[in-house]
Amino acid sequence: MISKEEKFPIAKRYNVADVQVSRDATAVKPVVVVNLIKKAKNPVLITGGSLLREEKLVEIAVKFYEKGIPVIATGGSSKPLIEKGVKPLFKTYTLHQITQFLLDEDFKPNGKSFDVVLFLGFLPYYLSRMLSALKHFSSITTIAIDEFYHPHAKFSFTNLTKDKEMHYAMLEEILSRI
Amino acid sequence: MLMKKGIFVDELRNVVIKIGEIAEEEEEWESPGPTPKPGIIELRKWDHKLLERYEPFYAPMQDFCNLCTMGPCDLSFNKKGACGIDLRTAKARLVTIACCIGASAHTAHARHLVDHLIEEFGEDLPINLGGDVNVEAPLIRTVVGIKPKTLGDLRKALEWAEKEIVKVLHSVHIGNEENFVDYESKAMHVSMADHVGMEVADIAQIVAFGFPKAKPDTDLVPTGFGIVDTKKPVICVVGHNVMYSRPIIDYLERSGRIDEFEVAGLCCTAHDMTRYRSKAKIFGPISYQLRVIRAGLPDVVVSDEQCIRADLVDACSKMGIPLIATSDAAVRGLTDVSDWKAEDIVEALVSGKLKGVFLPVPEKVGEVAPKVAEEIFKRNKDRKYKFFASDDELKAEIAKCTQCMSCVFTCPHNLRIDIGMAQAQKTGDLSKLAILEEQCLACGKCEQSCPKQIKIVNVIMRSNFEKLYAKTGKTRVGRGPIQDTEIRKVGQPIVFGQIPGVIAAVGCINFPDEMKSIVEILEEFLKRKYIVVTSGCHAMDIGMIKDEEGKTLYEKYPGNFDAGCIVNVGSCVSNAHIAGAAIKIANIFAMRPLRGNYAEIADYILNRVGAVGFSWGPYSHKAASIATGFNRLGVPVVVGPHGTKYRRAYIGKPWKNDKWWVYDIKSGKKTFIEPAPDSLLVAVETKEEAIVQLARLCIRPNDTSMGRQIKLTHYIELSKKYMGDLPDDWHIYVRSEADLPLKMREELLKVLEEQHGWKIDWDKKKIVEGPLRGYDAGFNPTVVEEVFAKYRR
Repeated sequence: MISKEEKFPIAKRYNVADVQVSRDATAVKPVVVVNLIKKAKNPVLITGGSLLREEKLVEIAVKFYEKGIPVIATGGSSKPLIEKGVKPLFKTYTLHQITQFLLDEDFKPNGKSFDVVLFLGFLPYYLSRMLSALKHFSSITTIAIDEFYHPHAKFSFTNLTKDKEMHYAMLEEILSRI
Repeated sequence: MLMKKGIFVDELRNVVIKIGEIAEEEEEWESPGPTPKPGIIELRKWDHKLLERYEPFYAPMQDFCNLCTMGPCDLSFNKKGACGIDLRTAKARLVTIACCIGASAHTAHARHLVDHLIEEFGEDLPINLGGDVNVEAPLIRTVVGIKPKTLGDLRKALEWAEKEIVKVLHSVHIGNEENFVDYESKAMHVSMADHVGMEVADIAQIVAFGFPKAKPDTDLVPTGFGIVDTKKPVICVVGHNVMYSRPIIDYLERSGRIDEFEVAGLCCTAHDMTRYRSKAKIFGPISYQLRVIRAGLPDVVVSDEQCIRADLVDACSKMGIPLIATSDAAVRGLTDVSDWKAEDIVEALVSGKLKGVFLPVPEKVGEVAPKVAEEIFKRNKDRKYKFFASDDELKAEIAKCTQCMSCVFTCPHNLRIDIGMAQAQKTGDLSKLAILEEQCLACGKCEQSCPKQIKIVNVIMRSNFEKLYAKTGKTRVGRGPIQDTEIRKVGQPIVFGQIPGVIAAVGCINFPDEMKSIVEILEEFLKRKYIVVTSGCHAMDIGMIKDEEGKTLYEKYPGNFDAGCIVNVGSCVSNAHIAGAAIKIANIFAMRPLRGNYAEIADYILNRVGAVGFSWGPYSHKAASIATGFNRLGVPVVVGPHGTKYRRAYIGKPWKNDKWWVYDIKSGKKTFIEPAPDSLLVAVETKEEAIVQLARLCIRPNDTSMGRQIKLTHYIELSKKYMGDLPDDWHIYVRSEADLPLKMREELLKVLEEQHGWKIDWDKKKIVEGPLRGYDAGFNPTVVEEVFAKYRR
């Protein structure tokens, strides 16, 4: 159960017209993400193309990796990550392909199925479609930790587009507690 | 009365007597294949083969359905609606509908053209695409099973396509299919009809209008926002059916005044105007509509059909630009003036009595448009062309912004308009707004959401005006088909792999990045001696982006269908020539018969022709059917990230070894193969990812060792450059040491041994154990049982 204090108020979706009838993501604070990761049997962080433009996100992803969370790098995000010592589970496949793989219970690249998947550094409209696929056709817990609120994730940060520093601080807070 | 022995009328009830067209015996140009004029299920088996490997992937845009009155129905989490359809199947149905729309657009365009041209030129006008094109209609031959010789023959292909489109459209009615794979098969079927429709349309206009016939070195025409001489009246044509605006050129030529006017176009009508006469110019793609109109550049706008803004009358009238709508597909609420005298139409438009007219009579359009443009031009000589009358007006507009971010949350790219506005308000610096212009689609959604009614599009365009105006490159005029002689030259190196691939950059402008990214991606392949083919909006975007020396790709690379060259085939309907080139490789190089032989040809292409479609900014329904048509033909397609909004992809699972097999005709055995290509339709997020995916999807099971070595060299180099390391899957494409890139052979053998457990004979530098299969020069793959049986005999 997530307490009221751990949630953000209902947020504006990244695109106001991306409407569905099923549940919207719970907008959560870092502590909830920490708890979800701690409880996960096999979590993974998937990184996207924004890491090629935003150095801070590379730094964050490296820290996740150093905390023992495996990384799947898409969109070319592998390049800066590998330069900083990360060995991603995958670097060739697109998020589109990885999502198709995640929908298959036989996909166990490190021996087990992933139960919690965190997404960092994606074009919002691209990630949104993948989150929609995972929402409807899998039981995976999806967590969007980008700067836009993602309604199709199970859990998402709220909109932090106005305050990048706050976004970074929230990511750091997760890292400091896992 | 004595009854004579004979047949009673009653016995004739099953005899049909047709009066009208005399059926001519089809010339025996090839033995008929198994599927001439295929119905909706004749190729289902082939589709299911593809879809077994390349599993449909669905990313719902909506998880409800409201197509009937029992709804709306909540289909979330794959629930069933009132009619029994589940979410996956509902999405497959929606994709089928999108493909029906795309196929109908091209086919109706073809129907309009063919009927009109037969009226003008007669049905016996011969199909002559030049001396180097003997396989004139590869799609029609392969799908419909006829060899069209005249304009009239094209009607037979059209009739088949129209029938199939209606049948597929029927299948999407409530209460039909209940399996998503069968809807996908229907999407593929209607998309194949789309390709036939495109081929009909382009062949018809090439032969009737005298467009270039497979000529590699066509003229270069000015392209971009700043191309017109604003001291002349400007006629702007927009859309996809040049039939209506072509007479403008004729009229101006007849009156000897062609040099006194500017005729420039938007979207594919622009391409086709330049194919008709290279004096015409190209403003740009659909995203340039508001740019051009709001800048007040045209003195008259002539619209036809498809991919035109649905608020064109409003946009033009606000700028005092009269509009002439010509196609019955887009009448736009305007008065039909077909029966009016030309001078009365001119008077009504110039005086402003009518904002626009509907004039579906091409010859009248030819006369009216120049006359209107000339009169409006006289009135508008002092136009500013800068979106705002003054800097103060621009400043006042920017000052209205409160950074509420409504625009950001509605922009297709979530562009940070708020940040640009804030900086301009504080410092007067427009640079952050100017950057947005490079990526802005000028769709205008931001303005709809703005509570202060700021003219955001105008603000962005004005902020980058100098650079926008400087976009004046050159596009090589669309050449139409690929020559048979070119296919003879490149067929073998493509099939064997020495030419590492054909990249077909096709589609719209919904790029995730600045426009220059399309050029950056394609130049990577041109430098590496791939063949690059392009059409439509991509082809004109390429013509707008110049390098440091002021040259576009068309000025740097030749226009032949050959390694290291870039071919612009023309408009949307010219895409048929790209599919046609793949088919011609199977026919001209490999001597595979075409006539009604679709599955064999598609199977050949899937296993041997390293061609990949690339749509960096897909947005239209036509793009959906074009891509799906390529998929059925065995050609994978990579789309930009907006392509995920088509909701469906075809993505294989490379780790599932049992999914990747072929029959080897040589050995007579079912053989497991490397997953090449492993996706038929997949979206990428960044240009870096696009480059790597395009390279890897060019690999084919039939590559020779030399070919595989070349393809792997590029794939590995590009992965190291853009992904920072070797690809995850490079080793699964290695069949023997001869497949390894020469320069990296030792290094890669070491990796195979250490990381993948392969056994290496280091004395001979040979792979002893490890690959999924060995290389066999006689390997002859197929996934079609009938093809296997045919060639094993």
